[in-house]
Amino acid sequence: MIHAATAPWWIWPLALFAVSFAIGIVAVLGGIGGGVLFVPIVGGFFPFHLDFVRGAGLVFALAGTLAAGPTLLRSRMASLRLVMPLALAGSVASFAGAVVGLSLPTDTLQTALGVTVIVIAVLIAVSKDGYTGVVESDALGAALRMKGHYQDPALGARIDWRTHRTLAGFAAFGAIGFVGGLFGLGAGFANVPALNLLMAAPLKVAVGSSGLIISIINSSAAWVYIQRGALLPILAVPAILGVMLGSRIGARLLAVTPAQTVRRVVVVAMLLAGARALLRGLGLWT
Amino acid sequence: MDVSGQAHDSQVQALYARWLDIGTRVSFAASLVAFLLYVSGAIPAYIPLETLPRYWGLPVGEFLRQTGAPSGWEWLRHPGGGAEYLNLGCMALISLVTLVCYARVVPALLALGERLQAALAILQVLVLAAAVSGVFAGGG
Repeated sequence: MIHAATAPWWIWPLALFAVSFAIGIVAVLGGIGGGVLFVPIVGGFFPFHLDFVRGAGLVFALAGTLAAGPTLLRSRMASLRLVMPLALAGSVASFAGAVVGLSLPTDTLQTALGVTVIVIAVLIAVSKDGYTGVVESDALGAALRMKGHYQDPALGARIDWRTHRTLAGFAAFGAIGFVGGLFGLGAGFANVPALNLLMAAPLKVAVGSSGLIISIINSSAAWVYIQRGALLPILAVPAILGVMLGSRIGARLLAVTPAQTVRRVVVVAMLLAGARALLRGLGLWT
Repeated sequence: MDVSGQAHDSQVQALYARWLDIGTRVSFAASLVAFLLYVSGAIPAYIPLETLPRYWGLPVGEFLRQTGAPSGWEWLRHPGGGAEYLNLGCMALISLVTLVCYARVVPALLALGERLQAALAILQVLVLAAAVSGVFAGGG
């Protein structure tokens, strides 16, 4: 690591841009938000305090998902009807998570972040994609008309879908939103299984809607960091620009990169970054 | 009333997507310009970039105490107070895009008879407006 006291200031935004660019590529290929890599990597290996890194992490995930939103909505890979109730639960919880996060001691937060990231990495490593087929709506899901359709070019067919377990979905998105606000993560790693495995949305709709949910939830939590003065432009803007460019490259590489290879890269990067955050939080590697 | 919900899915999604597209492009372009003005020194910074590394490793409370930098809406009381606050304004713009999109689809949902969805959208606008105001964040 370059010594923070002797390095000129401009090294850090340049390094952040490069790291964010690389995360942008890997995040698209790995089907994750990117904040789950950004916060532990930048928090562990850069000289910025974790308060500012978490603020930048939220804006980082927000920027990537806002940019992808129009395409996802137009192709119906994201469903506004599905997103609106779940994002409402998530954004209230995310707001609370951000407030709690800014009042906790840094070491506690670093340790909790390290444990969370390692657990998520293990879950990604062992999880399987689970399309569950068309289910019957529950009463709340039917009242909210949580159903839709999209055209799948790979299958050459129109896919009709509906969701169930709506109350459990609300609870899941409340919990995910709180963790996201607490650590400054996008939480896409948890949105997709909640939508797909729990609520039975098709995987493509789950991935697309997850991005839109992150953009709504993080819009609420980002304001907590803005209000508390925990958003540093010198950190946040290079991260935003890097992830936007990286995501575009990642989207182009998606067709030619083996999914299994990408998943392994993401898991290894998360394990390393999580271990670094954990050791730093415990005072074993400062 | 659109019983099938097809009109919601086509019209409202398209409307949200259009406003999201415009809002995102404008806020990202503004962020890029503001950042270039900041790092080039074209607009003086509140905390000079050469001295910033002394403070960015501090917890946010200590950072604000040592630099005397305003936080939240306080920066509006510092007209011309620094290029970083212009950048902060642009990031605030990025964080406002969702609120604007939601506010825009409420009348469309009501016109389609989607009262429950409209109520959810209004609640989301209120949550985002509360976040923007800083009333629950204890800042600004």
